[in-house]
Amino acid sequence: MNRSGTAEGSVAAGIRDRADPRLVLADRVDQLYGQMWLGIVATFAIGAIATFEFWNDRLRELVLFWWGLVLLVTAASAGLLYGYRRSADRARDPDQWLRWFAIAALASGANWGFAGAVFFPSHTDEQQVFLAFLLAGMMSGGIPVYAASWPIFALYAAGIVAPFTYVLATFGNRLFTEIALLVPMFYAINVAVAYRLTQVFHSGYRLRHAYGKLTEDYSVLNQRLERQLGELEEARRQVEASGRKLALFAERAPIAIVELDPSGVVTQVNPAAELLFGFAAGEMLGGNVKERLVLPEFRNEFDRQWAQLITERAPISGLRIRSPRRDGLQVVCEWTVTPLVNNEGTLIAVIAQGQDVTRQLEAERMKKEFTSTLSHELRTPLTSIIGSLQLINSGVLGDLSQDISELTAVAERNGTRLLDLINDLLDIEKIESGKLTLVPEVFKLGELVRESLVLNKAFGDRFKVRFELKSPTETGAGERAVHADRKRLLQVMTNLLSNSAKFSPEGGSVDVTLEEAGPMLRVGIHDRGPGIPENFRARIFGRFAQADSTTARHKGGTGLGLAISKRLVEMMEGRIGFDPREGGGTTFWFELPRHAT
Amino acid sequence: MPARPLSKVCYVEDDEDIQRIVRLSLERVGKMTVEVVSDPMQAIDAIRAFGPDLVMLDWMMPGMDGPTLFRRMKETQDTSALPVVFITAKASQTELDELTKMGAAGTISKPFSPKDLPEQLRAIWAKLP
Repeated sequence: MNRSGTAEGSVAAGIRDRADPRLVLADRVDQLYGQMWLGIVATFAIGAIATFEFWNDRLRELVLFWWGLVLLVTAASAGLLYGYRRSADRARDPDQWLRWFAIAALASGANWGFAGAVFFPSHTDEQQVFLAFLLAGMMSGGIPVYAASWPIFALYAAGIVAPFTYVLATFGNRLFTEIALLVPMFYAINVAVAYRLTQVFHSGYRLRHAYGKLTEDYSVLNQRLERQLGELEEARRQVEASGRKLALFAERAPIAIVELDPSGVVTQVNPAAELLFGFAAGEMLGGNVKERLVLPEFRNEFDRQWAQLITERAPISGLRIRSPRRDGLQVVCEWTVTPLVNNEGTLIAVIAQGQDVTRQLEAERMKKEFTSTLSHELRTPLTSIIGSLQLINSGVLGDLSQDISELTAVAERNGTRLLDLINDLLDIEKIESGKLTLVPEVFKLGELVRESLVLNKAFGDRFKVRFELKSPTETGAGERAVHADRKRLLQVMTNLLSNSAKFSPEGGSVDVTLEEAGPMLRVGIHDRGPGIPENFRARIFGRFAQADSTTARHKGGTGLGLAISKRLVEMMEGRIGFDPREGGGTTFWFELPRHAT
Repeated sequence: MPARPLSKVCYVEDDEDIQRIVRLSLERVGKMTVEVVSDPMQAIDAIRAFGPDLVMLDWMMPGMDGPTLFRRMKETQDTSALPVVFITAKASQTELDELTKMGAAGTISKPFSPKDLPEQLRAIWAKLP
């Protein structure tokens, strides 16, 4: 084998290693059995000729015995071959079949060896030549039959030559002794040939199986590839579809979408952006967004935000920028800016989505102005109206007739109600627009509760209801402090107390309790009113919530008090609620976190 | 707390109705002497002439608003030490805080109760050094 063959050989060896050794062995056994009929036929035919040749009266029993052996060996071999052919699972146990085959081969070889040993000394010179020729032929003829397994051939041939060599060596004839020396060499050459043949067969079978396996692997691989190709194709279709969808979104979006490169140059704009700024796409593309779409006085702010965006790569939302339009007007846009970063962490683009908030800002400004006007212009005349009536009703200006004083009392009460309504409306507007800021301080909740009872006593008197404090405010929970807005908490107490007074029977009392509830302080206001109708409970803290609209006319109230109270308590990190009271009535309560000190 | 009781109050306010109510309230309920000034531009001279214990200022007035007048008073020798109380319809706490920071003795929000106004003023007076 030359050197270049080694490399190829190693490749082939690599492939051959993939073959399953058991399958290779099974193939070799099959090859042996496949050639077996040839051996059987040859043994029978040659055995018959030899029997005829060796026949003489002197050795009649011996020749017949041998012929019997030949028949026995061929019959047994034929039986074995038949058994092998019939066996359904012969490939499962090739070792067993190989062993049986080896025994048959040895028996066959030994049979010829027997003939050589027994008939050589007893026959004539011509017959001896015939016998030597016969044995040599049987040995060489075994090579193709047993080529798939050289040890079996070695066994078979040894069976033939060993007894014959012994007879030759001990014959006492010089020529025969020399032949006896040559026979083992002849044997060795034959075994060597068989060995090479076995190698070739073995290699061939391994290759066959390896390629079979490779083919199998390739078909599995092929299937997998096909499947993956199918998936890729599907994915490509999806990407294409979502790309089309995305393009459509940008195209039809009512908000301006501008794509920028990392240096701020406009690379793409959608029709809404063209419409909003009045520039055609061509006028914006390729230009720096700062120069085109940011007014000079906003450029510093823009630079700051842009630098932050580039370094942090975090999206920015709610960025308000005033931009010039092509027609000379200005628009204010609220931008959501998203940096697009690829898997390697490189910033590849910036997507800015802008919504025109010019009108919204104007509306906000007008609303603020309106609220401010409402606050001042409505309250100023009311100050005069209520002030005058209060002075009249207080009696410091002199006594009035009963009719007049009744009417001025009605006027004062309704003036106050109007003022309450305005105040409540302003409050709820402020709370809901997030403009109400609390002024929290630390104070004892007990003191505030006591103060609220004093402040609301007059209101209770109007409905002939007493407010009674049922918990001591100098000890226990009353001594505990909260961190809250004092004025706003008084407003909550006033709302809850007046609410309870309105719905209590005349001459009744509203009990006020103060207790600790875990980390919270809980104030309870317990009335003996009619309770809250089932269908009203869910919306009691809603705006303009009143179970019975006639109540508002009879007893006053805006229907905003509980809504405001709930929002205020929640702004102070507390909770508010109500429960039906045992024995009739309702308990309104709120809880605030206890201050640590 | 000042040694003498609060008896002379000067009120700068452009709204005549409110002027009348405050005057009645302070005179009839509070038994005080009241001088009302309608024009904020002439307020400093009027205050000098009247010599009140305490000055009440409206926030929103034409010509000059309350805070500006307050600053002027601070800059004028005769009026710089006078305690000033603002009466305002502005409800925002931050604005009220601003007034206190400027050195106002107190704030009373509109609408006020004329029945209680003298009491409120006296409470502020009592807290003065």
